[in-house]
Amino acid sequence: MMKNVLIIGSGIAGLSCAVRCAGHGLRVMLISPYPSERAQSVMAAGGINAVTKGHEEGDSIESHIEDTLKGGAMLGGRNAVEGMCRQAEDIIRYLESIGTVFTVDENGKPRTRAFGGQSHKRTHFCGASTGKQIISALVMESRRYEAMGLITRKLGMDFYSGLIRDGVCYGALLFNEGTKTLEPVYADAVILATGGQNSLFGKTTGSILCDGYAAGRLFMQGAVLKNLEFIQYHPTTLETSQKRILISEAVRGEGGRLFYPEGGNRIYFMEDKYGPKGNLMTRDVISREIYATGREVFLDISFLDKKLIDSRLPEVRDLCSKYRSIDITREPIPVSPSVHFFMGGLAVHMNHETNIKGLYAIGECASMYHGANRLGGNSLLAAIYSGNVAADDIAKNECRGGVQDFANYIAHEKKELEKLYDTKSAFPVMYMRDMLAETMKNNLGIVRTEKNLKAGIGDVDEYIGTSTHLHYDASVSAYTNYSLLGIMTLARAVLTCAEHRKESRGAHYRSDFKESADELSHATLISYDDGSFTVNLDKGNAYEN
Amino acid sequence: MKIRVLRQINGDTEPYWETFDYDGDKEISVAGLLDYLNYHDDIVNDKGEKTGRIGWECSCLQGVCGACAMVINEKPSLACETFLKDLNGDEISIRPLRKFPVIHDLIVDRSIIHENLKKANVFIGEYNPKDREKLTLQYNAAKCLKCGLCLEICPNYTSGKSFFGAVFANDCYLVQKRNADKAKDIKETYGKHVGSGCSKALSCMDVCPMKIELIASMSALNR
Repeated sequence: MMKNVLIIGSGIAGLSCAVRCAGHGLRVMLISPYPSERAQSVMAAGGINAVTKGHEEGDSIESHIEDTLKGGAMLGGRNAVEGMCRQAEDIIRYLESIGTVFTVDENGKPRTRAFGGQSHKRTHFCGASTGKQIISALVMESRRYEAMGLITRKLGMDFYSGLIRDGVCYGALLFNEGTKTLEPVYADAVILATGGQNSLFGKTTGSILCDGYAAGRLFMQGAVLKNLEFIQYHPTTLETSQKRILISEAVRGEGGRLFYPEGGNRIYFMEDKYGPKGNLMTRDVISREIYATGREVFLDISFLDKKLIDSRLPEVRDLCSKYRSIDITREPIPVSPSVHFFMGGLAVHMNHETNIKGLYAIGECASMYHGANRLGGNSLLAAIYSGNVAADDIAKNECRGGVQDFANYIAHEKKELEKLYDTKSAFPVMYMRDMLAETMKNNLGIVRTEKNLKAGIGDVDEYIGTSTHLHYDASVSAYTNYSLLGIMTLARAVLTCAEHRKESRGAHYRSDFKESADELSHATLISYDDGSFTVNLDKGNAYEN
Repeated sequence: MKIRVLRQINGDTEPYWETFDYDGDKEISVAGLLDYLNYHDDIVNDKGEKTGRIGWECSCLQGVCGACAMVINEKPSLACETFLKDLNGDEISIRPLRKFPVIHDLIVDRSIIHENLKKANVFIGEYNPKDREKLTLQYNAAKCLKCGLCLEICPNYTSGKSFFGAVFANDCYLVQKRNADKAKDIKETYGKHVGSGCSKALSCMDVCPMKIELIASMSALNR
C-alpha cells in the first residue's frame, strides 16, 4: 500500500523533504498558506556548510562536527550532528544536480567563506541569495513530482491542530482560507516544517509568517518541546519601521569595526576588550557586549575602498541605502542585536519523530543540531538534512494502518471556532500580539534575570487568561485570530524554560547565574497538561543529545 | 496627505475607493504606511468614520518575497520598497493588481502563475546542462519572486489562459539551460505560451523588482 505523507510548511525543509519522500515513491500532500517563494528560507543569505572535495587545507568532517558541537555548548545531539556533517557533501552535490547556482571561482571551483565559530572556510554560497537559489531549484524539482502525481501542493491552507489520539498522530485539521472551514487530512505520517517563532518577539530579522503557532498548538496536544530558552540574537541588525534587517557578518569579515561615540571620540569597545580580532567574536558574545554598552552602537566599513565595498558588499550597501538612506561608503551603520534564530523547538528522536508517533518535525521548528547556539551556515544544512532523515525513516517503516474516527473532535473544534467568531470584547488580537512582543522583549532579552522572567511569566499568564474571549477581528484572517492561544502558550513555555535554566550557556545568559554549571549540561524538556507546564532536564537522553 | 485605497470586501462584491488622512513620517514605505493606518489606533477614513482594517499581505518586508505586490500611484510595485518620500504629490493611490482575482482589498489570488508552470511541465528533469558560461544569467533568473508585477504591466497578458507572460519565460529559460535534452521541447512550450503573443513592449523589465534581464532569457529561447 502506498504511504501518504502530509507535510506542513513549504520552505526549504518542507519542500526538500517532499521531494525526498516522492523520490521514495511516497504520496505527499504539501500544504502551506502561501507559495514557497514567500517562505523565510528565501531570506537566508549566508550559505550552507559542508566539507567537500578540495576543502581548505586542514579541514575535515570531524572539524565540522566539533565546531558545531562546540558552538552549541555541547547540547547538540552528537550522533545527529555527525550524521548531518557526513551527509553535507552529498547535499551540496544534490543541490547542484537540481540546478542550484553556487558561486564558483574562475576555475569553476566552489568558493567558500567562514562565519564566526568555524575553524575553516566551508560555507558554500550562491552570491547573497543562497536560500532563494535553493528554493527556486527545489520548487522546479517539486513540479516534476507534481506532474507524476506524487506531490500534491495545496496553497491557502493553515494548520489548525493535529489529529492525535493515545500518543499517535493520524493527520491534521487544516483551515481552508478559501472555504473558511476546517478540513481534516489523514496521513500515515505528518511532518511539521513550520519554521521559528518570530511573532513572539514582534520585530525580528525573519518573516512575520513564522509565528510558532503549530508548535504551540501541538505542545498543548501533548508534544514535548526542547531547549526553548536558546534564542540566537544577531548582533548587527538595522532598524526599520517594521522590522530589523540583518547586516551580514561579511561586513565584519571585511574589516568592519564596532564602536560607540563618546565625547567626540569613537570607542572601539570590542577591540578594546578582545584585541584586534574583537569584531570577529561569535554572535552571542558581540550581542552581549553591545547590550552592555547601553548606547547606540555603529558598525563602520566606510574606511574601506569604495570599489571593494561595491564588489564585496553590494547587498549591504543597497539595503542600507534603500531602507535607511545610509551610504555605507561614507558613514557608519547604526546597529543593534535582534532575535534571529531559534535553537529550540519540538523535541525529536534521531529519526526526527516527536514523542507523538507518526508526527515528525524538521527544520527550524525542531530542536536537534544547534544545541545552545547555532553556527552560521548550519541552518540550511540542518533544514535539508532533517527532511532527508524523516523521509528515509517514513519510507522504510511499515505502514501504520488503522483508521480512527475523529468526527466528534472535528465537530467540537468547529464549534470552538464558531464561538470565537462571536466574541465581542473590545480588544483585537493584533494588540495582544504587540503586548506579547513587548513583554518578551523586556523580559527575555539578551541578558536575563529571575525577576524579569517571573514578571514575563505573570504577564503572559494574564494574556492567556484573556485570549480565548477577545474580540474576534474580522478584518484580519481567521488564522490570526485562532492562532493567538497557541502562540501565547508557546511564549509561556519559552519563559518557563529560561527561568528553569539557572546558569549561562550559549545564547542563554543569566546575569544572576553568570557561569555554566556542569550538572546542567543537558537539554531542557517541557511538557504541557491542561494548563500546567512541567520542565525537566533530559539527563537520561530520552531524545538524542 | 491623502491615501486613496481601492477596497473590496471579497471577490463577489464591488470595489470602492476609500480615503485616509496621513500626516506622519515620509521616510516610511507604503508597507509601513499600511501598518500604521491599520494599527496605530482604530482605523478611520478621512470622513472620521470607523472602518475595517485594510487587507494586504507581506512576509519578508525587505523586497525578496514578492507578497506585497500592488499598484502604487499607477505603478506596479512592491509596497515594502516604495517609500513615501519618493512619491510625488499630496495624494497616494493604492490598488490591488488588476490582472488577478481579488480576494480581499489588496490581496489577490496569484495561484495561476504556479498553475501555468505546473500545467506546462516546466521542470528540469535530469540535470544535463550544455554549457556553464551563463551562470550569472541563471542566477538572476532564479531570483524571480513570482510576484506578478511583470504580468500586471504587460500589455499582452490578460487572464493567463493562453499567454503566460514573462514570469513563465523566466522558468522556461532555466529549464533550457539546465537540461539540453529538454531544450527543444521547452522552446516550443515557450513559443506557444509567450513567444507568439509577446509584442516586445518589455515593460516587464521596468517593473521587475529583482531587475531580471528578461530580454536575455527570451532571446535565448527565441534563438
